[in-house]
Amino acid sequence: MEENAYLASILASIFFLIASMRLIRLHRRTRERPELLLGLYFAFSGIYYLGYNTPSLLQFDAWPAPINLAIEWAYILGVFPYLLFIRSVFRPAATWAGCFVAVCSVCLLVGTLLLTQDGTVDYALTNPWFVVQWFGYTAPCFWLGWEAMLYRQNATKRARIGLCPPIVANRYLLIALFGCFQVFACLADLSFANEVGSSETVSLLTDALLGGAEIASVAVLWLAFFPPVRYTNWITRRAVILPTPMDG
Amino acid sequence: MATDLFDLAAEKLETSTEMDRLASRGTLRIALKEAGLDAHKLTVTQLRAVFEKLMPKELEARGVSDAAATCQAAMNEIAISADSIGIASAASPDDVFKRLGES
Repeated sequence: MEENAYLASILASIFFLIASMRLIRLHRRTRERPELLLGLYFAFSGIYYLGYNTPSLLQFDAWPAPINLAIEWAYILGVFPYLLFIRSVFRPAATWAGCFVAVCSVCLLVGTLLLTQDGTVDYALTNPWFVVQWFGYTAPCFWLGWEAMLYRQNATKRARIGLCPPIVANRYLLIALFGCFQVFACLADLSFANEVGSSETVSLLTDALLGGAEIASVAVLWLAFFPPVRYTNWITRRAVILPTPMDG
Repeated sequence: MATDLFDLAAEKLETSTEMDRLASRGTLRIALKEAGLDAHKLTVTQLRAVFEKLMPKELEARGVSDAAATCQAAMNEIAISADSIGIASAASPDDVFKRLGES
């Protein structure tokens, strides 16, 4: 694993697992699907990050191949509910969104199946199936960031006339930032695969990009899912809400 | 006859002011854009906020006298008509994002 980024990944895995428990508990109360889908994504991601980084943390060489495969599939399985979350929340009726989910799903399944066909996970930029799989998990992160940013623009306008709580408009921004940071992490994956495939070492830049993206992701999710009262009050105070003309 | 809330609101705006169909629909679209709302996913609550906070200014700019009272009267009629033709409120991403911060 990278020199220091594994510490950030361990932090992310713990946070993802806590967030998943919170979301699944919320689903049990509300019976609504979006929180379940997002909760499953964070649960699978948390398991993946924890499993992937345990050898670095406990300082042993690597898991046996079957465990490595199981960890790889845990992450991939988590991307499906992530895709369904984005579609069901932002584009429930759009045909293109359904097609996009299907394309990403095929990339994930085919990429991962062929990437692991010899029983090991072959991270290398020269392996075309790695790139196919990479697209399958990177595109949803970009999609989430894009949609949340679009909705944030309109939510800010709605907040001005009292139709959207300012903290909700801010949450769109935080989730958009999470999507962006995850895209950075995915770009660092490409650099990681390139370096590991050619020299078995990881550059400081890749290490910093991976670690930084994970820490930034945790920070924005913490503000989104567990907003401190002081932060909520600050966002609410900053919001501009138009008075009703009839109120004078 | 109006098929959705946007059509209904545009019709009421047309009959409450001296604007023609094109002008009333255009004015409504401008107000909805300023409010960050989608014309096809409008709810009565959202429309009421637009008619209270944004539409009076738009109507005044188009020379409608007593714009605030006109908006209030039009909105009351819209709410009754929307109720009678069964236009319901739709769930939105805002509801989801609101819940995500709940403990």
